[in-house]
Amino acid sequence: MALTRQVSKREAEGEVERIYHELQQTLRVTGVDVSLRMWAAFPRFFEAMWETLLPNVETRAFEKAADNLRDEALEVAADWEPLGAWDAVTLGASQRFHVKGVLELYGALQPKVLLMASAVRLALTDEPVGLKGVPGTVERLERGVPPRMAAMEWVPDRPDDPRLRALFSDVVKSVGPPAVPGEFRALALWPEYLEAAWRRLKPKLREDEFTQEVESLRQSARRQARALPYEVVLSRERVHALGEDAAAVFRVTDALERRLPVLLLNLAQLMLDAPEVERHPFPGATRRVPAWAAEEALR
Amino acid sequence: MNWRDWQARQAVVELGDRFLSYVDLGEGRPVVLLHGIPTWGFLWSGLAPALALKHRVLVPDLLGYGYSDRRDAFDRSVARQAEAVDAWMDRLGVKDAVVVGHDVGGGVALHLAVRFPQRVDRLCLMDSVCYDAWPGELMIQLGHHGVVKKLSAEAVYRLLKVAAKRGGFAKAPPDGLVEGLLAPYATEVGKVSLVRNAVALNTNHTQELAPRLGQLSVPVLILWGEDDAFLSSKYGERLAWDIPGAKYVKVPDARHFVMWDAPHVVATELYRFLGVEAPEETGVAR
Repeated sequence: MALTRQVSKREAEGEVERIYHELQQTLRVTGVDVSLRMWAAFPRFFEAMWETLLPNVETRAFEKAADNLRDEALEVAADWEPLGAWDAVTLGASQRFHVKGVLELYGALQPKVLLMASAVRLALTDEPVGLKGVPGTVERLERGVPPRMAAMEWVPDRPDDPRLRALFSDVVKSVGPPAVPGEFRALALWPEYLEAAWRRLKPKLREDEFTQEVESLRQSARRQARALPYEVVLSRERVHALGEDAAAVFRVTDALERRLPVLLLNLAQLMLDAPEVERHPFPGATRRVPAWAAEEALR
Repeated sequence: MNWRDWQARQAVVELGDRFLSYVDLGEGRPVVLLHGIPTWGFLWSGLAPALALKHRVLVPDLLGYGYSDRRDAFDRSVARQAEAVDAWMDRLGVKDAVVVGHDVGGGVALHLAVRFPQRVDRLCLMDSVCYDAWPGELMIQLGHHGVVKKLSAEAVYRLLKVAAKRGGFAKAPPDGLVEGLLAPYATEVGKVSLVRNAVALNTNHTQELAPRLGQLSVPVLILWGEDDAFLSSKYGERLAWDIPGAKYVKVPDARHFVMWDAPHVVATELYRFLGVEAPEETGVAR
């Protein structure tokens, strides 16, 4: 599959720039991850996707569904042999603090992105996604990035270091396209740790048990997507009518939906391997609506 | 020591929602070394081990710098940095220390000395921001919010590397030093943090201290690279004039990064200032 362009935050303009801001505020995360940057390469699709997903993404129900996916991955990984990467490398206290920050950041983000990918993948194959709730009627979460969440910092996807370049290439080959996953680019800031982690993660990917758990997680994500509170209105016809290459959008979405469960299971192993990583990082508070705004809405 | 080795030595403390990374070397009377912009604690990787032979040397990365908190969500002015250093010393149980500040770190040290005098046992300023000597042209441009969109992290990194190598040193710096000093800023997050650090450079924050410099009552040493192209040595002279009893040492054949251009002179002067006989071999180049 040809590599799809990613739209960096620096390149984002107009509607894409607006949606990047809203994504960060709604997903409550410090950056825009690779999967979303790939969708942004189809700007009219991206806008339509966000318009229909936003009412769901900002709800407590969405966060709970994402929590369930993370819990499922953690439960599965807890039955596997401990990874041992954390203890295998010599990292300083500050470095370990940063690595934990990355694991918690992606622990919070990745199940949400998986849920979004599942919802979009289902919608693009004309399957019903979401219930028929009236937007705004279920509990919503406070917007904004948690003050203690780590910055989303990455090395370039084509780093100067040949060892890292080779590792990235191996990762994409193993977990699937379309690009080097964000958490790998983040953990590459500590190359020894990433190497130790990947050396241990990779053999597991080839096991039948792993493949089965990936499929199970994918199906769970689809179930959770179908049960989101509001209907997701999107189709290939709509994407085509918007003037985007619907087949390309589907290919990217399909690739993301296939590999995100793989990445989540990898991440779960890393989270369990590092001591004191929060399993439910950065829970959202209920959005407070000022009395005058509530009155206005009722009127 | 390369920058990764230095980073591996860093500990971390959380200060409310922020966190601060630091290196803690040796034992004895505490000496705090504060870096400037666009560097981090690694700036002191040559001098710190020499001082640690007879002192406890504490080297933080200021907020927004190095491997301390670089999230895009807080003020990085020298005034705020001094408050963070005060809180950090408190967390470490360090009642007071000899505080050494270079460049922006000098501005932080001045704020500490004036606003938190109980924290500063002795004060050393090296090629320090002060009065209206700063920010320099490059930093003013870097602090423009548009830089975040207009320039890639790679472009900013290249620009700073050239500027540091051309203007910062009187002689060729050790291999890998400049790359190490800029390493935390090579990513997009690092670049944005550096832009926010640059926009926090505020002349008023040192001008407001100027009328209070005469009230400083601790011993003060001012070390300045004679040929500093970023901060003229005339400001060192002015500080020495305004601070009662301050000792001023103009270091020949040295520019802004005086601790790398003349490491032996700087180590010797600091040991003298601390009233301790310097060890026979400090490990710094003569």
